[in-house]
Amino acid sequence: MSFVYEEIIHGYPKEKRYTLAILQDIQKRNGFIPREAMEYLSQYLGLPVSNIYSIATFYKALSLKPKGKHIIKVCSGTACHIRGSGTIKEELLELLGIKPGETSEDGLFSVEVVNCLGACALAPVVVIDDKYYGNMTKDKVKSVIDQYKEERAHG
Amino acid sequence: MDRNKDRRILVCCGTGCLANNSYNVYLKFKERLSEDAEIEVKPIMKSTGCNGLCEKGPVVKILPDEISYFKVTVDDVGEIVEKTIKNFETVDRLLYYDTNSGKRIKSHKEASFYKGQLKIALRNIGEINPLSIEDYMERGGYKALKKALDMKPEDIIREVELSGLRGRGGAGFPTGVKWRTCSEYKDQPKYVVCNGDEGDPGAFMDRSIMEGDPNTVIEGMIICGYAIGAHRGFLYIRDEYELALKNVRAAIDNAREKGFLGKNILNSGFDFDLEIVRGGGAFVCGESSALMASIEGNVGEPRAKYIRSVERGLWDKPTVLNNVETWANIPPIIINGWKWFKSIGTEGNYGTKVFSLVGKVKNTGLVEVPMGTTLRQLVYDIGGGIINNRPFKAVQTGGPSGGCIPKEHLDIPLDFDSLKAIGSMMGSGGVIVMDDTTCMVDVARYYMNFLAEESCGKCTTCREGIRTMLHILTNITEGKGEMEDIELLKEIAETVMEASLCGLGKSAPNPVLTTLEYFKDEYIEHIADKRCASGVCKNLTSYYIDENKCIGCTICSKNCPVGAISGRLKEVHVIDEDRCIKCGTCAIKCPRGAVRIGGMKVEA
Amino acid sequence: MEVAKRHGIHIPSLCYRKGFEGLARCRLCLVEVKEGSRRRIVSSCVYPIKENIEVTVTTDEIQRMRKNIIMLLLLKAPNNSYINKLAEEYKVAAPERYMNPLDDENCILCGLCVKACEKMGTNAISFVNRGIYKKVSTPYDDASKDCIGCGACAEVCPTNAILVEDNEGKRKIWNREFNMVKCSLCGSYFATEEAYKLMQEKLNDNEEPICNECRKKIAADKLKESFANIY
Repeated sequence: MSFVYEEIIHGYPKEKRYTLAILQDIQKRNGFIPREAMEYLSQYLGLPVSNIYSIATFYKALSLKPKGKHIIKVCSGTACHIRGSGTIKEELLELLGIKPGETSEDGLFSVEVVNCLGACALAPVVVIDDKYYGNMTKDKVKSVIDQYKEERAHG
Repeated sequence: MDRNKDRRILVCCGTGCLANNSYNVYLKFKERLSEDAEIEVKPIMKSTGCNGLCEKGPVVKILPDEISYFKVTVDDVGEIVEKTIKNFETVDRLLYYDTNSGKRIKSHKEASFYKGQLKIALRNIGEINPLSIEDYMERGGYKALKKALDMKPEDIIREVELSGLRGRGGAGFPTGVKWRTCSEYKDQPKYVVCNGDEGDPGAFMDRSIMEGDPNTVIEGMIICGYAIGAHRGFLYIRDEYELALKNVRAAIDNAREKGFLGKNILNSGFDFDLEIVRGGGAFVCGESSALMASIEGNVGEPRAKYIRSVERGLWDKPTVLNNVETWANIPPIIINGWKWFKSIGTEGNYGTKVFSLVGKVKNTGLVEVPMGTTLRQLVYDIGGGIINNRPFKAVQTGGPSGGCIPKEHLDIPLDFDSLKAIGSMMGSGGVIVMDDTTCMVDVARYYMNFLAEESCGKCTTCREGIRTMLHILTNITEGKGEMEDIELLKEIAETVMEASLCGLGKSAPNPVLTTLEYFKDEYIEHIADKRCASGVCKNLTSYYIDENKCIGCTICSKNCPVGAISGRLKEVHVIDEDRCIKCGTCAIKCPRGAVRIGGMKVEA
Repeated sequence: MEVAKRHGIHIPSLCYRKGFEGLARCRLCLVEVKEGSRRRIVSSCVYPIKENIEVTVTTDEIQRMRKNIIMLLLLKAPNNSYINKLAEEYKVAAPERYMNPLDDENCILCGLCVKACEKMGTNAISFVNRGIYKKVSTPYDDASKDCIGCGACAEVCPTNAILVEDNEGKRKIWNREFNMVKCSLCGSYFATEEAYKLMQEKLNDNEEPICNECRKKIAADKLKESFANIY
C-alpha cells in the first residue's frame, strides 16, 4: 500500500499548489488518505503536517476514513430536494442501518449526501460509483441495493 | 444518388442524457448503420453536448431533415433507421409533444421550449462533438482568436467594454471594465482564470458548456490573455464534474496541437497556455478570492477584497477571473462586434443569459434567452407551466445567495438590475420553480443547512449566524417555534448580511429575508397554528378526510402504502393518524380533494 | 486599527493582536469609512489606507452590528467569562431558548493561536474542517510531534480557551506531556525542554537555562551598574 502513494506523490513537482491534486489522486486510488501518506507528503512538500491536515479536512472530496466497496451519493440539490430526495435518503439509510458519511457493516456501501450533481432534470438522483440512477423512488431504492448485494453474492 | 450524403445523426451525450442511457443509443445507431447493407453512404454519427431539454432525453437530432426525437430508447433505434434514415418518414410518437398547443412538432426549432431561446453561449452545444476541434472550427471556432491577434489589445478591451457584457457568474460586474483595470497594472506575471466551480444546487449551465463546447471558453480566455498581457491561465473546474474535466482536458490538447495554445500562437509572437485545477468539493471555492486561494494550495478561505483581484489576485499578481458563461460569450462578441451584442437584451443588461429551469416545471432543462425575458415567459411559454398544472408559488433564483420571487412578480424581466431591485439576484442562472406543495419555511431551512457546511467558517457572523438561523428555522419546522423567532431571525439575518467578510456570508441571509418578506404568513402558520399547509414539515402535518367531500370511492385506502385508511365503499373514509406516515399519496389521488392537511397532532 | 490605537481611539476586537497581521475573523472591528463620495463598512484591522479617508468608529448601525455579533459569540460560548464580560459591557443578552447552559465551549475561532504557532512556534495546530464544524486542533486530535509546548497559543487566546497544565516540572498541553526545564538561578520551571532547545538553536545560545524573571533581574542589575558609574 505504501508504494502506491509514494509513486503518486513523486509524480508531482515539490510545489505547495499541487497539494490538493496529490491528495485527490491518493483519494481516488486508495479510497481514503492514510495518515502515513499525509506525513510523507508533508516531508516531500516541506509543509507542516497540520497544514496538509487542514486541507484534507476542508475539502469534502477527500476522506480520512476508508470507504465501502460501493459509494452511494444521494444528491441533495434543490431540484432533487423538492422532488423528494429526503425520503430517498431516509429509506436508504434505514435500509443499510447507517448515518450519512458512514459505511455499512458488511463494508459494501458508503452513503454520502452530496451537493447538486447537475443532473437536475432527473431529480431525485442517486449515483452509485459512476452510475446515475435518476427519477428514484422509495421502492426503487430497495431493488437497486438488492441488485448490488446479489452481484457480491455471485462474486 | 444516395440521399444520405451530408446526413448527420446527433445523439445527445450530456450528463443528463447519459444518465438515461443515451450512450447505448449512440452505440446502437452505429451498430445498425454499419450492419445495414442498403445504406451506402452512412450518415455521420456525432455524440454531442446537452440539448437543453433534459427532461425529455435522450435526444436524437437528424440533419439536414431537422427532425428531433425525444426519449429515444435503444429499442427505438431500429425503427428510426428503417423509417427515417431509409425512408425519410418521421416516427411520430418520438416527436416533441408541445403541451401548450397539444401538437407533435417535427423540428425542435418550432417547439415552444426552443422558440423563445436565443443561443449565444450555447450556440454550438448539441450541434457538435465537443471532442472534435474541427467541428468547432467548422462553425466559426477560433476565427475570433485570429481576428483578435490582428487587433490591438486596447481595441479588444474596448470592444468588450462597449458590448456591455456583464459577468455571468452572478455579480454582473462589467467584464470590459474588469479587463481594462487589469490591463492598466503593469506587474507581471498576470493570470486569466475561469471559474468553473458551479456550486449552486439546481444549476448546471456551466457544466453543460464545459462538457458540450469547451473550446468557446478556451478561445475566450486566450483572447483575454492577449488583451491584458497574461501568458498563463487556469480553469478551476469542480471536482464532481468528471465529464467536463475530461472534455476540457481533451479540448486543451486539441487546441495545443492546432497551435492555438502554446508558444507563438499563430505566428503572432504571443505565448499563452492553460492549466486545469480540480476543485476539492467546496462550494465556497466559487467565490473568486477563495478560488484563487485554492489554486495556490491553501484552503478555500476568502479574503477581504479591499484590494481587488485585478490588482492583486493569484499569487498577489493582477488577475482576471470570469465565469464559464462569460468566457463563452467572448468569441461571438469579437466576431460580430459590440453593436450586435448590445442590440440584444435590455438597457444596461445586454446579451442573453443561460438558465437552468428546474423544479416543479414541466419542461425542465437548459435554456438561453435574451435578457429581459420575463419570468412568466420562462416558466410558462418555455417551461410549459407547472407540473400537473398546480398553482405557481415562487421561483428561487441565484441559489443559496438568491431570493425567492413570488407570484406578484411573475412579470418581472429577468436581468441583473430588475432582480436586484426586488431583493433577489440573478446569480449564476439556476431557476427553481416551486408550487403549492413546497413549504417556503422549509426552503429557507434547506439553504441554511446547505450553507452551514459550505461556509468556510472564517468569520463569526457567517459561521455563527448561519448556525443560529438554521437552529431557529429547524425549530420552526418542527413545531417548536415562537413568535419572537421571526424578529430574531430578521435581526441576525441583517447583521450577517452587513458584517460578513465575503459574498457567501453577505448573501446567505437572502433566502431567509425574502421568504420572510413574501411568505410571512407561512412562518406565522408554522409558529402559531403549528401547521404546514404544504405538507412538507412532517411534524406539522396531519392528514384528515373532509367527511362532507368524501364519496367513499376507496381510491385513497387502496393507494395508502401503510394501510392507514379505513372505510367501506360509498362510506366516508377515515385516516388513522397514528399509522399515517404523511406521504401525501392519498391527497394526490383523491378525485374530490377531500383529503385535507391539518396541523400538528395535538395530544388528547 | 493601528492608527486608531496610536490616537487612543478604541475599536473593539477579539482577533486582533499587535505584532500579527489583521485576521478579519471576529468582525467586531467594523467601522464606517468615507473615501471620496463612497461610504462603506469595512474591517479596520485589514483596511488599506491608500489616501485620505474619514473614519467613523461608532454609529447606531455599527453598534447594532456589534451587539448582534457579541450575541452570536455568546451563543457559541455561553459560559465563557471573557465573552460574558464583553456582553455585559455592551448590554447584550442572548435569547434564553437558544442558550445551552451545559455548553463548555470556550473557543470562538479567532485564529490567534494558529497565527502564534505559525509565527512563533512550529505550526503544530491549524484550523480543521469548515463551516459550523470548524475547530482548532492538532492533526487527528493527537499529541503532535511538532508541538514544543511553548504555550504561545494559550497566551494570545482572548478567551482563555487553551488548557495548559503545569504540574511539578511537567506540562500538559494539546494532549501531550512535556518535561520542563528548571531555572539555574531560582529553580522554578519556566519552559519545556523542546521549547528551550528551539530557543537555543535560534539564538545560537549555549548558556545555562535562566527563567524570564531572573533574566529581567540580571538585565536590571546590569543597567543599575552602568548608571552607577555615571552618577
